Amino acid sequence: MKIFSSRRLVTGALALICAGSLSILPAHAASGTRQFIENFGNKLVAIVNSPIPLQEKKSRVLPLIQQDVDIDAIGRYCLGRYWKLATPAQQKQYLALFHEVLVNAITDKLGDYRGVSFTIGAISKSGEDDSVEAVLMRPQQPPATMQWIVGYASGSPKVVDVIGEGASLRLTQRQDYSSYIARNGGNVEALLNALKRQIAHHTAAATGNN
Amino acid sequence: MNSGRNGVRLRPRGQAQMSQTREGFSARRRFSSRSSVLAMTLLALAGCSAIKAPVPKDPDALAEYQQANDPYEPLNRKVYNMTMTVDKWALRPVAKAYIWAVPRTVRNSLGNMITTMNEPSVFFNDVGAGKPRRAGDAFVRWCINMSVGVGGLIDVAKMAGYPHHDNDAGLTLANWGVPSGPYLFLPMGPSSLRDGIGYGIDQGLSPWNYVPRGYGLISFNWAYNMLGVVHGRSEHIDELDALQRDALDPYATIRSAYQQQRQAQAQAIKNDNRATVPAWYH
Repeated sequence: MKIFSSRRLVTGALALICAGSLSILPAHAASGTRQFIENFGNKLVAIVNSPIPLQEKKSRVLPLIQQDVDIDAIGRYCLGRYWKLATPAQQKQYLALFHEVLVNAITDKLGDYRGVSFTIGAISKSGEDDSVEAVLMRPQQPPATMQWIVGYASGSPKVVDVIGEGASLRLTQRQDYSSYIARNGGNVEALLNALKRQIAHHTAAATGNN
Repeated sequence: MNSGRNGVRLRPRGQAQMSQTREGFSARRRFSSRSSVLAMTLLALAGCSAIKAPVPKDPDALAEYQQANDPYEPLNRKVYNMTMTVDKWALRPVAKAYIWAVPRTVRNSLGNMITTMNEPSVFFNDVGAGKPRRAGDAFVRWCINMSVGVGGLIDVAKMAGYPHHDNDAGLTLANWGVPSGPYLFLPMGPSSLRDGIGYGIDQGLSPWNYVPRGYGLISFNWAYNMLGVVHGRSEHIDELDALQRDALDPYATIRSAYQQQRQAQAQAIKNDNRATVPAWYH
């Protein structure tokens, strides 16, 4: 009887701890999300504003993106319904290509800005993820309001989407890709080839400029 | 019909045919009208199949089709291609020249003027959407900028704490709960059935479309509208260039971005429940 009651005590305590941690969890996650975006933003802005040459900016930004952006999850999302239709080999190849395309897209933007700052606003829930409102200030340009969507699916906080002027980047990208595949006979291979061409053009343009 | 009759008369046919009664002509006319009806029906059918996209059977594909909300995709793509061709050879070069010739500060002032002159339309739509605070902002912006701001060239209202906000009849209708209807790509850009109708309403709400003849006002209005188009295009040169370079299907990307943005704009207006009494009054 005693054992039973102590067992009950233990389970009761466990339940209590679980419930307690559950109620604490959202607040904890929200502050964690804020901290995460603040760190990520500060590091990014420091690189963007620093007077080092563009090539070095790019190489410094790369590890930051790889660590704090969930590129695989974004890639899977962007392929949409074709992710299931693609063969494992195609999926693997697609993710590798997508990595490169996304990193190119981000690093291409680096040269455009200087004297950038940002402020972080309200944090809200967006489905399973957290949405962080941020205002980006660029000189001689109107402030740009955007939402950073932070997901915890990989265990640690990572950026999974950016919403600018009301448009989700990953959703827009998904509709771009799916429309392209649909117009090319529903063939994922067509998308892979297009991505390869895109990367080739990018490298050609980059080497041509240097 | 006339040419047909003449054609018959010119043809060297026998007397018998020449003496044919009116019945012959009317029969021929009936036949031709019947065949033209048939041709029209066929053309309309062919047209329908060309402007309406087939509805997919696969459930995943169907979900995608419904999300895109673009049943007239084939027709829209034709208009899109035409618009982009005109843009490439006419509007974009003009906008580039405008950027090259006019310094940024002057362009900003012109942009302020265009925004201010559209303020009446924003005001009426704010009223229509039942948002008094927004309507007040638009009204104050109009009054300040048209007077102190020298006809809108200087955005004094913004410095005084009344920044510009967008509104149009499409968004007002959205706030009334009118669904967007199918996506449409019109010659002036991405739209929807609702926003297209809204565009027409906005033309009616703009006082500049009621200027009397004389005093050069009509010419001013033309210049203002054309400047608006060129200036608007010049603001998006880089974005549109990047989009056409980076997107695999620019048409689908524009469609997606437009639909999401309109939804967000309508939501922002809906969520704006600021009190009509200003904060300093309390």
